[in-house]
Amino acid sequence: MLVGAFAVAHTPQLLIRPETEDRDLVLRVHAAMQRVKARLQAMRPDAIAIVAGDHVEAFFLDGVPALAVYVGRECTGSFGPYRYRLDIHEPLARAVVEQGIERGFDLLYTQDASLDYAFYVPLHFVMPEPAVPIVPLHVNVYLPPQPTPARCHAWGVTLGEILRARPERIALIASGGMSHFPGTDRYSSPEFDYDRGLLDTLRAGRGREMARLTGEELDKRGNIELRTWITLLGAVGDARADVYCYEPSWHHGNAVVEWPMSGG
Amino acid sequence: MSDGAHYRFPPSEAYRVNRCLYALKSDRAFAERFLADARAATDSMGLTDGERADLLHLDRDALVARGAHPYLVFMAGLRLKMLREPSRMEYF
Repeated sequence: MLVGAFAVAHTPQLLIRPETEDRDLVLRVHAAMQRVKARLQAMRPDAIAIVAGDHVEAFFLDGVPALAVYVGRECTGSFGPYRYRLDIHEPLARAVVEQGIERGFDLLYTQDASLDYAFYVPLHFVMPEPAVPIVPLHVNVYLPPQPTPARCHAWGVTLGEILRARPERIALIASGGMSHFPGTDRYSSPEFDYDRGLLDTLRAGRGREMARLTGEELDKRGNIELRTWITLLGAVGDARADVYCYEPSWHHGNAVVEWPMSGG
Repeated sequence: MSDGAHYRFPPSEAYRVNRCLYALKSDRAFAERFLADARAATDSMGLTDGERADLLHLDRDALVARGAHPYLVFMAGLRLKMLREPSRMEYF
């Protein structure tokens, strides 16, 4: 069953803060993530399914899947001095890949890919104690051609059906967003007003409208990572978003959001 | 996706440059070798002289013009900064 749904920013400057980043802003985002952690503690999930876009870490140009599922026993990743080793909920991961393929989504699966920070930065801050196993779900956001928002939404609808039919209590997290343009000449000029408009749409429970966005629009608005949110929106349907925070830094729209679920 | 997109299809002629940026980003041992002796570290990467010169300076505009992925340029630079100046970061 699906007991919780969240979107959480994952920019690595939230984990390792260079002097370029506003410390108070970083701490405000941390506070919002602490609220997510408290909510997860209360929900007592058996597993966290986390949808994230690999930042060309596990999947370089030798193989670029549109959608992938990590199905091993555990996964590891590292960033600076941090080393992560996270248990995977293997029965749930297998169910997602097997039923997803059965329902028409040609998923790649991996038992050995390294974990990107898009997965472990949010989990660093929101993982309940004691930790629960995860199911990492990759959506290609950085290597064109990416899956369309409509395809991500359709996958999310199917993913939601799979998760709801399971006996485990499952929390779903979308990692990433909002507007930012890393490595481009737009890095210092994200589209914050666009983000605020999207958040209003989500507060109104009209998330399915995001399935009609185009890849060009997401690229133009610095929101290629919203494919992870759009996947989650397919799973949560018309639930209204509770926006915990929206903190625009000089290069990034940091948002933390919950979609309350009836089972949570 | 149009040619005007911020993130474009990575052209195959830029594969070696992207491979080197990927190694700087994701292979700490390679990044440490690069910081110690960038020229020696890139000897085996099969780069042209021009590609190597742009890479040694992490010249974003030049690298992107060659087809380098902008995110790889960005994160290779951040990872090198983290290795060079670890004490100037705050860790949470």
